[in-house]
Amino acid sequence: MEAEKILIKKKMPFCPGCGHIINTRSITKALEDLGYGTKDVAMVSDIGCSGLVDPLFASHTIHGLHGRSPALGAGVALGLNNRKKKVIVIQGDGGATIGLQHILEASRRNIDMTLVIYNNLLFGMTGGQVSGLSTNHFKDYKQSADNAEPYDIVRLSHQAGAAFSIRVNKMKSFNNVLKEAIATPGFSLVEMTSLCTSYSMKKMSEFQYFTVDEEKLVNDRPIGHTRIRRTKSLFNNLEGLNTQFSSNYKNKIGVVIAGSAGGGVQSAAKMLAQAGMLAGLHVSMKGEYPITVGTGFSVAEVILSKEPINYTGLEKPSAVLIVTEDGWKKVKDRITPDSKVYLDEKIGVDDGYTSKAFIKNAGKKGAALSAVSYWIKESDVFPIEVLEKVVENHKYATSLKSAIASGASL
Amino acid sequence: MTTQTSKKVLIDASRIMTEALVQSGADVFVGYPITPSNLFYSYSKERFPEFLAGPDEISVLQWMAGYAAAGKIPVTATSFPGLALMTETLNMAFMMELPMVLVLVQRLGPSTGSATTGAQGDLKFLEGVISGGFSLPIFSPSNFNDAWTLSNEAVKTAVKFRTPVILLTSKEMVMTQKSFDINSLESIKKVDRKPKAFEPPYQPYKVGEDKVPTFYPLGNDKYQVRFNSSTHAEDGLIHKGSPESMRNTIRLREKLIERVDEFSFYELDADEGAKDLIVSWGITADAARDAVANLRASGKKIAVLIAKTILPVPQVIYDIIDSYDMVTFVEENLTGQYKQLLVGKRISSKYKMVNKFGSMIRPSEIEAAVN
Repeated sequence: MEAEKILIKKKMPFCPGCGHIINTRSITKALEDLGYGTKDVAMVSDIGCSGLVDPLFASHTIHGLHGRSPALGAGVALGLNNRKKKVIVIQGDGGATIGLQHILEASRRNIDMTLVIYNNLLFGMTGGQVSGLSTNHFKDYKQSADNAEPYDIVRLSHQAGAAFSIRVNKMKSFNNVLKEAIATPGFSLVEMTSLCTSYSMKKMSEFQYFTVDEEKLVNDRPIGHTRIRRTKSLFNNLEGLNTQFSSNYKNKIGVVIAGSAGGGVQSAAKMLAQAGMLAGLHVSMKGEYPITVGTGFSVAEVILSKEPINYTGLEKPSAVLIVTEDGWKKVKDRITPDSKVYLDEKIGVDDGYTSKAFIKNAGKKGAALSAVSYWIKESDVFPIEVLEKVVENHKYATSLKSAIASGASL
Repeated sequence: MTTQTSKKVLIDASRIMTEALVQSGADVFVGYPITPSNLFYSYSKERFPEFLAGPDEISVLQWMAGYAAAGKIPVTATSFPGLALMTETLNMAFMMELPMVLVLVQRLGPSTGSATTGAQGDLKFLEGVISGGFSLPIFSPSNFNDAWTLSNEAVKTAVKFRTPVILLTSKEMVMTQKSFDINSLESIKKVDRKPKAFEPPYQPYKVGEDKVPTFYPLGNDKYQVRFNSSTHAEDGLIHKGSPESMRNTIRLREKLIERVDEFSFYELDADEGAKDLIVSWGITADAARDAVANLRASGKKIAVLIAKTILPVPQVIYDIIDSYDMVTFVEENLTGQYKQLLVGKRISSKYKMVNKFGSMIRPSEIEAAVN
């Protein structure tokens, strides 16, 4: 059976003599030679002269943004996840420069696609400006004051993990090189020299004087896939906290717990919230800590309420439990005349607040829970057994129970 | 999953939204970590059938566009700095008519601002995020029930209208844990991706009366598909300035504006005879609800409108506002971005504003403004 024609237009939208003509023909010829049908190919085009190719193809096409087509193509290839379908990305040297990260990423992951870079050493659509792939020799010719060394895109993609990376300058090799690249499983990159007759030379023989030598590099790696998994509902493992006890409280109470990172403040707050639920209350809970979570203060707020909670802000805490100096500094300004304050004795503030040996009795990690336990007993919000119930099946149940007991005994 | 027995759990809206998105049929989460959207990232890593860690936000949205073009429903979550990087690709996805969902968790700006402080400051940016006067569908959950239902509606709308949809939320909404009966949530059905009927021959951007083209993915064996980010006609090819291509581009606005009633969500709780209306959205809605309860307890007749479809603005929102003597807009930004969206910047004796920057608006502040 004769292969389907992927190239449907002989007349191309490029300047007479433009290298993009032969490059484009070489790609479609390689695909046809390899037996790809029109519906087996997704051509991904970029911005610039090379981005004018879509109407030339009988295949699927997608025309995206400047430089981003290797990322767009990567998404298509991962989404299709089908070895019978081929994703071909075409971009220029300007696109390859602005989207360099996307090329490295597709290489690193060895995504099953082929990127063809039409390297004419310049931005053809905007007036012949130099790109990150322009050689210094060419930049001298263009009288560019910027003489930073160009990227070697072949070596970069190889180093990042591409299965196949090649630079090819001679037109007669294009077809074979493309066939080899397209047939390679994984990510293949072909940098093809492309003559711009408007902004560089009129003859390829002169232009090749400015190009980088041909090079071919391979990595023997498997194709990069994502795993598609069957997963379970995020609700499955949530602990049910339906009412099992009753609460003596009628109103809304807000509790602030403050300490230091690693001191169990957030988990103590969570246990208080869970206990509140077991006691039939509505609860809300939020935490605050520095972006560097392992150091500095750790503050949590818990609201317990007979009525459903809408607004979760806490301006006037009923109780403020503070177990370390970090915590004291962070929340001392939130204390109102109506707040009951419970401090660890080591903080050394004497404002008529209740001062207890939370750390001494329960250790640094147990102090916050110990303070919660003390407050539950003092406030009589619900029986201490509710808190014990919360930790009953916890993997550290023994030490948590001991922290609760130490607080309740103070 | 509606059952008679309740299951009360301590939960946050990030978990609820992630679960709803997956149950609705979202296939892949592409993430780049940014506070305060990180809970979405960690829940999605566990729950989405496919998960990818992008190297940057531009790649994230480009990969998502590729997945969407290949027939999948992709999701990401970010905050303003990430959205800023995604903006060019968001325009591309809108132009290509690719279904996807972005969760935007607002935090305090400008710039990197305060990553762990909530805000409602990105609406003005989103209003103009698509160049030329186009609206993306933007839904804003105001509580846990909305988090569930609007996530489902976001996937449905993205597929039905072939468009990116934004779930606009904020730090306090998605990171605060609350007691909640998860068995009270309505069950969610997976969206149907079967291509709808069309009049042959197939063209990738040809539409019928509903103004939404039939979707076939890249790589399908039936029809040649062309997606295009540049101005294109029904065939998916660039036709600069042609009447067909201009008509096709303007259609992108019309398909959403003309059918906004199909995705108009809001909540109106009004006392009969009330002359005052409080208008709010997102995280501030709960303070408004509390303020209304307190005002009623003190004998005042009051109404509260919680907008959930933020953009395009449904006509019903204007109609409700027009039917009250005094309207108080409540939102956590400096200038009243939603108020401006609805009634402009001009100060009027009919409108009051309660605004705050850097902390949540309290119910008492709303009550004081209304009284």
